[in-house]
Amino acid sequence: MFGEQQRFVLLLIAPAALLMLLFQVVPIVIGANASFRDWALYNPKKTWVGLDHYHAVISDPAFLYVVLPNTFIFMVVSVAGALVTGLALALLLNRPFPGQKLVQTILLVPLMVAPVVAAIMIRWIFNDQFGIANVVLEAIGLEGQPWLVQRWSAFCIILLTDIWLWTPWFTLLLLSGLQSLPKEPFEAAAIDGTSTWRVFRYLTLPMLRPVIVVCVVIRAIDAFRTFDIVWTLTGGGPGRSTELFSLYAYVLAFLNLDLGRGSAAAIIGGLIILVLGVAMYRLVDRIAKA
Amino acid sequence: MAAITLEKLNKHYGSVYHAVKDVDLAIADKEFVALVGPSGCGKSTTLRMIAGLEDISSGDIRIGGRIVNHLPPRDRDVAMVFQNYALYQHLSVYDNLAFGLRNKKTPEADIRAAIDRAAGMLGLHELLQRKPKQLSGGQQQRVALGRCIVRNPQVFLFDEPLSNLDAKLRAQMRIEIKRLHAEIPTTSVFVTHDQVEAMTLGDRVVIMRDGRIQQIGTPLQVYGKPANKFVAGFIGAPAMNFIDVAVAVSPSGVTSVEAWGIKLTVSDANARALAVRNGDRVIMGVRPEHLMLGDGAPGMGFDAGVEVVEQLGSEILLETLVGNTSITAARVPAETKIARGDQVRLSVQPGRLHFFDPETELPISA
Repeated sequence: MFGEQQRFVLLLIAPAALLMLLFQVVPIVIGANASFRDWALYNPKKTWVGLDHYHAVISDPAFLYVVLPNTFIFMVVSVAGALVTGLALALLLNRPFPGQKLVQTILLVPLMVAPVVAAIMIRWIFNDQFGIANVVLEAIGLEGQPWLVQRWSAFCIILLTDIWLWTPWFTLLLLSGLQSLPKEPFEAAAIDGTSTWRVFRYLTLPMLRPVIVVCVVIRAIDAFRTFDIVWTLTGGGPGRSTELFSLYAYVLAFLNLDLGRGSAAAIIGGLIILVLGVAMYRLVDRIAKA
Repeated sequence: MAAITLEKLNKHYGSVYHAVKDVDLAIADKEFVALVGPSGCGKSTTLRMIAGLEDISSGDIRIGGRIVNHLPPRDRDVAMVFQNYALYQHLSVYDNLAFGLRNKKTPEADIRAAIDRAAGMLGLHELLQRKPKQLSGGQQQRVALGRCIVRNPQVFLFDEPLSNLDAKLRAQMRIEIKRLHAEIPTTSVFVTHDQVEAMTLGDRVVIMRDGRIQQIGTPLQVYGKPANKFVAGFIGAPAMNFIDVAVAVSPSGVTSVEAWGIKLTVSDANARALAVRNGDRVIMGVRPEHLMLGDGAPGMGFDAGVEVVEQLGSEILLETLVGNTSITAARVPAETKIARGDQVRLSVQPGRLHFFDPETELPISA
């Protein structure tokens, strides 16, 4: 059936293909199967219920009016925030100054911190009784705030944590992008007497655009699936007001032990990321070719 | 009015690398000067220091009488053409041309007029709405030239602008630059490693090596009276032949040079300078185009074995072996029947021999 060369090629691909099959395809199939059944630990019959779970999820007001908006707001603000601060830092680090290497190293520290550890640190900083944030506020005569028990302040803290964690990643990639730009157009602009703003607007930004777009797409897809920092900081609370999509699925499946509905939620989320991802990749392609 | 003066110009990179050494150069207003030399000779660094893209380590640069040592590039009123065009890739040709003027907040009507004039000169009218990516290399370089012209600067700087073009386009652009300089006489400094470009474009040619100027002169001066063996070998294509010879003065007073059993009589002008070196070894230089097939003048011929025959259509280049030295002869008529392994008689045109001291490599002259 196959020639010798093709058999050899297949043999080389086989280990990776097998791993993907075992750890990606099979779990997805099992999950998809579960999403069509009443699959709970106390109910061994696993009754086929068709699209009931899907219907329940998309008609759940908590999912529609809290979880989905939260997820999209989180995705947009977190990616935009980290992009802007990351780009600013990258531009700063792109010009030589004394101690530049040291600053560069320090800025990369958040990348080396586990998100859960970072989230625990932040949770203590904003603890309403013992947190340093309130101590500072009270020291300057302001009133301390119950940061993590109000919806929007809690949400902002989640966003800040995520931006803090991901800014270095943007800085690193954008800095390497900046350093790979050709020097001559910038020299031509210097001779032409171009202001810093015009250099940024008409040279740096357009030339860096392909790198920016790739970073944004990768990070946006990743942000959609964020779980760890939210779970550690607020657990989705107060109430369910800071719940993101992955928390929603997790709570359904592993706290409520309703594996069927949890799987259905996960698959809905997966489909949303798929559509979003394809759309964004198309966009990248168009911008890269422009 | 913008003469350029370089005085004792030096450039150090760290403590190890001394890229430009004590360069003194005075470029007159509206003059076209070509800086030429092999890679790493400091010619581009010199140009970039004039532009303000490199700091100078010591010395002075004056443009139009004003010391510009520490002025940023934008305050020097220069325009520069780069080897890889350095166009703003995402802007249209029109916006590329307008960029420098918009920096100065020039009214759009004036910008349009300036671009119209430059586009007319360079034949860019059809390309104004395109992006640089949609242009050929030659077109891109014309846009880069246009970008300089519209700003109407005091000085044009060219950093190997033709190196990325193919041979035919290079010749075309050379003519275009020459024509432009005639139409808009502006002080120009042109850096190149190609001596043909330097010779054809420059009112004067500056030859550099290892960060030092070797010679400054008109194309005819550097070709006819090279200041040292390096210049003699660098200027002219194919390169000058160098042969190690011994000076001999006969009892009757005739000066000749000998190598490999060949004896050439030296003409009057050189004879006097060489006579005092009777018995010494010197380096004889002779350009390929000054060697002819046949006996020529008495005492000027020698036999050579043909190693390679390069047929150029208009002429033949002969690579020959005399003793163990390769000698190239040009200007052999294209129809000549000649093959590898043949013995040919070559002769030197009288008065076309150059002699150099083997130690100092300076010319030996009266």
